[in-house]
Amino acid sequence: MISLRKRFLAELIGTFFLVFIGAGAAAITLMITKGTTPPNVFNIGIGVLGGLGDWLAIGMAFGLTVMVLIYAIGHISGCHINPAVTIALWAAKKFPGKEVVPYVVAQLIGASLGSFCFAIVVGINAVTVGGLGATAPFPGISYLQAILVELIGTFMLMFVIMGSGIDRRAFPGFAGLSIGFTVAAVITTVGNISGASINPARTFGPYLGDLILGGTNLWNYFPIYVIGPIVGAVLAAFIYEYISSEEKLPAGKVIREK
Amino acid sequence: MKCYMCALEGKDTEAVSICIACGMGLCMDHVIREEVEIWEGGYPLPSKKHEKTLPKMLCEWCYAAYKSD
Repeated sequence: MISLRKRFLAELIGTFFLVFIGAGAAAITLMITKGTTPPNVFNIGIGVLGGLGDWLAIGMAFGLTVMVLIYAIGHISGCHINPAVTIALWAAKKFPGKEVVPYVVAQLIGASLGSFCFAIVVGINAVTVGGLGATAPFPGISYLQAILVELIGTFMLMFVIMGSGIDRRAFPGFAGLSIGFTVAAVITTVGNISGASINPARTFGPYLGDLILGGTNLWNYFPIYVIGPIVGAVLAAFIYEYISSEEKLPAGKVIREK
Repeated sequence: MKCYMCALEGKDTEAVSICIACGMGLCMDHVIREEVEIWEGGYPLPSKKHEKTLPKMLCEWCYAAYKSD
């Protein structure tokens, strides 16, 4: 197997691109819509240029990034680029426990670097207007509702990962495509509810960047994007394992040739 | 089975293997054994390389064809 040091680097690079491109798309959308009058309290800017179409665009930026990264580094590190996925794979006994912390640290560092780099190339408006694409529950959405929707979104993501990636009966070569589209679909719908993180690292990077670079401090929302995704991913892993396992043959029907 | 390459040289040598690509019988002097790495697994788990390699028996012509661009 490729050394943990190299896989650490692969996860770091993967999460860097996820945040730079994906969260960057959210920040850019906010910057584009700056100056327009929100028609209602639920609309903080995203949506003005085309309603759900804006979320689809952001979702596609995330989904396409996830898809190509799976094909690029999936065979090297596994391309988790998401602590919830790493923890769920460990919980399902598919991934060694001693490698969970290094993977999560790599993902958090990569996400943070992605946010800082985005701020550098775009300028301070990326922080003050775009918020570096940080996630937060939308007006009218409670803390618990946000946790629940993050749980549901990440459940779907992990369920598809288990079905198209882990399960060796799956049609080979389509994991990246199906998981990329899953991410895009989840973000399109969940985006205007909780911000659609479905990934603690994806929220960690912009939060840290906003805090250090003078943006809005949103850390009080961070538990939403830790609890929801991790619980959702672990639940999905266990439930998929259960529903996909074959029934054992009764002892009397086992046929032995010799 | 006889070695095809030896037969071309006018020699009569027993073959010890068969080229996996063209099926040509080959003696020890003409067979090329390539050790192929075996990688298992992949997304969402890192691929693992098997300790042992897979032998691939080839004739000179097929080996040259595989190695050419």
